[in-house]
Amino acid sequence: MIPSYDDLTPGIPDVVDAETVKRLEIFFYRQLPSPPRGLIDPTAPAEPRQPPAPPLDLGSSPQLYACLACQRPTTDRQPQTADRQPETANRQPQTADRGPQTLLAIARDFSPRIMRVGEGEVLLDVGGLGRLIGDPPAIARELRRAIADAEADAAVAIAPTQTMARLLAAEGHDYPIERFAEIPVARLQPLETLPAAMNHRDRARPYLTLEKWGIATLGDLAALPAADLSSRLGRRGVALQRLARGLDPRPFVPDAETPRYIGRLELEWPIEQLEPLSFVLARLLEPLAIALERADRGAAAIHLALRLTDRTSHARVLQLPAAMRDPRVLRTLLLLDLEARPPSPLCGFGGTEAAVAAIDVVEIELDPAPARITQFSLLQRALPSPETLSTLTARLSALVGESRVGSATLLDSHAPDAFDLRRYAPEADVAAPVGAKGAKGAKGASGAMGAGATGAAPAGATGATGAMGATGATGATGAAGALVLRRQRVPPAIRVSVEHGRPVHLASSRRGMPSGAVIKAAGPWRSSGGWWTTQTELPPKGGSHTSSEHAWNRDEWDVALKNGVVCRIYQDRTTERWFLEGMYD
Amino acid sequence: MRAALESLLRAKKLDVTLTATPGALAPPPDRLAPTGSPELDAALGGGLRRGHLSEITGVPSSGRSTLAVDAIAAATDRGEAAALVDTCDTFDPASAADRGVTLSRLLWVRESGDAPRALKAFSLILQAGGFGLVLLDLADVSPVALRRFPWTTWMRIARIVEGSDTAALLVGGERIARSAGGVTIALEPTPAAWQGTTHRARVFTGVVPAPRVVTRA
Repeated sequence: MIPSYDDLTPGIPDVVDAETVKRLEIFFYRQLPSPPRGLIDPTAPAEPRQPPAPPLDLGSSPQLYACLACQRPTTDRQPQTADRQPETANRQPQTADRGPQTLLAIARDFSPRIMRVGEGEVLLDVGGLGRLIGDPPAIARELRRAIADAEADAAVAIAPTQTMARLLAAEGHDYPIERFAEIPVARLQPLETLPAAMNHRDRARPYLTLEKWGIATLGDLAALPAADLSSRLGRRGVALQRLARGLDPRPFVPDAETPRYIGRLELEWPIEQLEPLSFVLARLLEPLAIALERADRGAAAIHLALRLTDRTSHARVLQLPAAMRDPRVLRTLLLLDLEARPPSPLCGFGGTEAAVAAIDVVEIELDPAPARITQFSLLQRALPSPETLSTLTARLSALVGESRVGSATLLDSHAPDAFDLRRYAPEADVAAPVGAKGAKGAKGASGAMGAGATGAAPAGATGATGAMGATGATGATGAAGALVLRRQRVPPAIRVSVEHGRPVHLASSRRGMPSGAVIKAAGPWRSSGGWWTTQTELPPKGGSHTSSEHAWNRDEWDVALKNGVVCRIYQDRTTERWFLEGMYD
Repeated sequence: MRAALESLLRAKKLDVTLTATPGALAPPPDRLAPTGSPELDAALGGGLRRGHLSEITGVPSSGRSTLAVDAIAAATDRGEAAALVDTCDTFDPASAADRGVTLSRLLWVRESGDAPRALKAFSLILQAGGFGLVLLDLADVSPVALRRFPWTTWMRIARIVEGSDTAALLVGGERIARSAGGVTIALEPTPAAWQGTTHRARVFTGVVPAPRVVTRA
């Protein structure tokens, strides 16, 4: 009885997460050529070619590995077998000797998680570097720059799995990931884990078989039916196919030599208050900061673990916007975070309840990252440093709430007050054009006049928007004299008297709200949207304004009152109630 | 003798308070933050003074918020970081973007009407430093709530910002801080401008602000 594919595969650990496997399947099955007709089953018709797949988006990959591989000059593109290595090593003795150590040093500069996988080949986990350096191409550029600075010769490849990264790096400099399927099958040989006693003939046997079948590339091998391959080549064939599909045979195990920055303190007396804890944190952080400084590193993240007297633990991870090592800043960030999210309702931790459990063990681990190099400009005022901004944002978040501090981003919607509040990072947008102006796209909104949608009343006057007013909602540049709207985030209900189809008097029961006779009015401008969806289907908005999360259908008016106030009001066409949207000021 | 006295006053940061002729000790251009309005900048001698607390006052619909947003737009346009403490959460990002504010460079702190907490946030931002313009919007806070602040509050705020590169700005209905070093821009109520005859064809085109610079209490 021929064992099935499932019988053979359990021994192979599945170390790649399901999402990556799915993305790789899409990448391969949509991109690779169909298997050669008749090699496995002569009667089976060749499958039609799938439409080309979209490029593999590395930026959204949950895991990301980089491989640095020393380059040895070869006369052809044949695999580097054990017989050929001495020859090439003799040709370039300096590169062969110095390269691996140089690559290790470079890898440690970029990531604390590195793994030596072969002679002159280093893998590093670059999954967390996106926030510090940028997208995967930017990380690859930085790695290449570091290699060039070290006068080494190594190829760099970044991929969602270790196997893909190694295979791409083995192909040489700048080999595109889109051509992964074209890599020869023989390149898998160095990646296989085989018994040391296996002789040369057995090692080469499956490759010879595949060659007879006409399977020359990884794409051909990946496209073969797994069950048939298992029945003919056995477990090794399945393992080869997994490698050809870019799946990892074993998990990433960082080298133990990588320095870790951990501080731990078991307290003689448990701590219940925040203030004494701050001294403990300082005592732990100061030596760690000194160690980071000696290694020219900064902390990219802080892992705090607190063990409480009731044997529970409280763990927090603070992702820092930039590598920093000032112990006072790190301590302040930890204290503010603990104040906002206390481990238990302790006295002094933001609550007044009696202590439930105190802290008896404190452990801090810092994730090292390359230290930040700051280049100031003589022609531009310096922006607040990341340390300053981190501390300030944490303090402000503790004061007014985390969701109420940041920089606004206009959403691509005509919903009133559609914006999102994001983390404030002015340095990230130094060269950006002015504002997120011009939220465009009709999105089904309908407006009778240019200024009617969300507030740029003068835009309609200048004729910048046309009859439907789609871009006039937020996109038109304000004309001279146009006033800013002071918006009511929760529009208060008002009483409006209407005569001859226009408002003539406003009244409100709330103090401070505008009221009085209307001396001039403009409108109505009809605005509607969101009718195609329900409240839960709309994306969450940064603003707390509820109407932007619902369907809206209303007639808007700009009215000037006798006391000189000009405000925007609207009538909800569903409920026929009037609301004050804001005052021009 | 006069030079020595002026130097001493400058060292004690009393130069603006006690010097008789303001023009004689006009700050250099790099100590000024232009507001984005050429006429107003001319009246201010170049812009708002960095390191001092200034104010914009006026009644609703006089253009005080627009003037403040223009100052933010000018600051962000210069590449500076700006901050707005929005006491009553009335800031409209779309209007600000229309006026030229680079929203990504504006730190927006949304408070829900608690003036003391907004003031604390304001002082935190000033203490942090690095911002070109920091603005506290108190326009919708009732005068009664503002008068509850001890008069030393504004002196303390002025002291925090003193000597820094930050121009601190208050927006309110009436003069609040009366800072010695800063200026007060008072906006007079002006009639709204409209285009069109009937309400269906009419459009509100804004107002022409009438700012008046007040330098002394």
